[in-house]
Amino acid sequence: MTKPAFLKLIAMTALAAACTTAPEPAGLQLAVEAAAPVASADPRVKFKDGERYLRDLSAGLNIPREEICKELSRYDCMTDAFRIVLGGVEAPNLTVHQPIETAALTSPIAVDRLALHVCTSRVRRDKEKPADAVLFKAGAFGKNGAAKAPERTWLNSTADAIYGSILLRSPSEREIQNLTTYYAQVADGRPANSTEVAADWVTLSCFAVASSLEAVFY
Amino acid sequence: MTYDHSRRSFLRTASLGAAGAFLATRLPQDALAQEAMIERAKDPRFLIVLSSFGGANQVDAFLSRRESEIPNAATLNAYPDSLVQTIGEFRAIDLKSPTIGAIPASFTANQSNFVRKHMNDMMVVTHTGTSVNHYVAQQRSINGNAAWQGRTLQEAVALSYGAGYAIPNVHLVNGTGFTERGTDSTLPAYAYGERAPVPNLWPLSLDGYKGIAGAPSRNLFEKARKFRNEQLDPSSDFFKTFGGSQRIKYWSDIRGDALRGVEAADLITKLMLFPDSEEMPLAAHGLQGSAIGQKVREAFPNYEFDPLEAQAALAFMLLRYGVSVTVTIGPEGSAVFKKGVKLGEGGLGEGDIVNPPISFDFSHQANREVQALMWNRQLSIADRLASLLKSEEFRDGQSFWDRSMIYFATEFGRTRRRPNNAMTFGSGHELNNGSLIVSPLANGGRVLGGVNTADMLTFGFDPQSGKPEPGRHMTEPEMYAGIAHALGVDTAGSNLPDMRAMRRSA
Repeated sequence: MTKPAFLKLIAMTALAAACTTAPEPAGLQLAVEAAAPVASADPRVKFKDGERYLRDLSAGLNIPREEICKELSRYDCMTDAFRIVLGGVEAPNLTVHQPIETAALTSPIAVDRLALHVCTSRVRRDKEKPADAVLFKAGAFGKNGAAKAPERTWLNSTADAIYGSILLRSPSEREIQNLTTYYAQVADGRPANSTEVAADWVTLSCFAVASSLEAVFY
Repeated sequence: MTYDHSRRSFLRTASLGAAGAFLATRLPQDALAQEAMIERAKDPRFLIVLSSFGGANQVDAFLSRRESEIPNAATLNAYPDSLVQTIGEFRAIDLKSPTIGAIPASFTANQSNFVRKHMNDMMVVTHTGTSVNHYVAQQRSINGNAAWQGRTLQEAVALSYGAGYAIPNVHLVNGTGFTERGTDSTLPAYAYGERAPVPNLWPLSLDGYKGIAGAPSRNLFEKARKFRNEQLDPSSDFFKTFGGSQRIKYWSDIRGDALRGVEAADLITKLMLFPDSEEMPLAAHGLQGSAIGQKVREAFPNYEFDPLEAQAALAFMLLRYGVSVTVTIGPEGSAVFKKGVKLGEGGLGEGDIVNPPISFDFSHQANREVQALMWNRQLSIADRLASLLKSEEFRDGQSFWDRSMIYFATEFGRTRRRPNNAMTFGSGHELNNGSLIVSPLANGGRVLGGVNTADMLTFGFDPQSGKPEPGRHMTEPEMYAGIAHALGVDTAGSNLPDMRAMRRSA
């Protein structure tokens, strides 16, 4: 169990105990307070440079590093295309020995491209080999495919797979709620029970999580 | 200073079109400052820093001297009389050599053609620097040795004119002090240099969506971004804990309006220098080359293998499409050979070496040959850039060139001594030198300062009249001020000296 999930369990246990007993035991109250995120008084984060970012996604989404992101189907997104704006260095040819101190104006765009490349590639692979699917797994519309919209269990398990693969943690209830509600936006007037809509939702949910602040900084 | 992103700002800048969209998000809160910024955005100047790595020596070019003019010519870097041409106030050396020092590679170099064509826009100013360390001297050539709170010339120009531009300050050459960020941390983010290290692939970083095969529709992609920014991120424990970080605040800021503005301008297409090809399969990925790509490639036909030509081509496109107000380009440290040259197979032919290793600094091995070859290379790039900028109208019959300046920034000069009457010899770093500036905004047709006949070191000039002053040495802050003033940069409060002699109207 991940640390946030463990803290959440403690908090919920404490909350249940608090509802049935009085007065509140001091130790349980402390556990409730620990579960709520507290703004850091000295928040310091680092930018995850492009190589580390792609290696993390490679491991989490089970795509070989050398295949995970290719611009124009031939240039590695990090090594060849966006190395410097993604915080890398290149001494031999460009004589850039230090990573940029501040993100470039184009850095967020480059990150978005990487995330969209990776997530599009993952879902395409899932469609091509369902037996090895990582994110887009069969079963969205029930065994007979008769459901009018993806089943709740499928949505939840997919959200869990996205967070688990990319951020290496379970999503919170709120985050699951966010993603499942987001499905309607992706459908955008199209039949909610189409495979295309479901695949788009997985791709774009993956993109949103993979380009989130939590994925880009550490 | 704080910056105002209000609806009122958008209205005040709406008449500026695409420029107004950027401007509205970058306006300061002070009303007078807003007015000034809007006016400057309408009436920009453009600075091209053509960095000349290794010491572009003026006495090997426009301040060269004939042996007959120098008493100790045999041991100083004076040229045979037959090689030195006088054109207006300038000198020029045209040189043909069978070797570059010990390298058996013949070449032909020419300075006189450039001088004849551009002499009315040429200004050579003498100065003496304060460092012979490459990196330190490179920085000082663009920040005037911290003349104005440490901000670089590129940053000063971007701040003055760039608020309405998508990426005002772009650095296409990398790993040099010429593109080092200045030390004035009070500037808005858009004033600092943006690195564009790979001209063929960098335009892809100007759109987060185009060219990614199999992705959901653009409309859905934009919704996903909005969902991430407005729901997913704010609800995460990570954000609640670390959202106060300056890095996260900055990231959140630049992935907002700035990002949308860049993408809305379709720069991924406009700046795509390379055409569709096997190497750059654009069409297969839903992309296409720039509408002016053909014209630019004709001007810089070696863009595929010569990094400087690719930089210059993209630099022009950045100015022409109103993306930037300042661009920095220049030769790098690596040798560049003509396309198709094979090393180790029987010697090099005429012109096979396009750029010697370490550029001007290869003068350590062969001063005259390297200076001639590199000046020829730099002048050729400048000539083609100026021609392209002249061919494009900015507004009301004015060309882009009418508002542009090419500043040949360099670290230092080269030592003046040579072995007795040697034609081939090595040189060291020398604080004393001068700079070439080519611009309709500068005091064109002029050499400001002069050369001592005793030691061939340069001397300075009166900052107001431009009259030569033997014994005086112009400083880095004075050069910085002269360039900034010629470009019309508002330097109020900077305490920079008045260098009236360097302005066109002088």
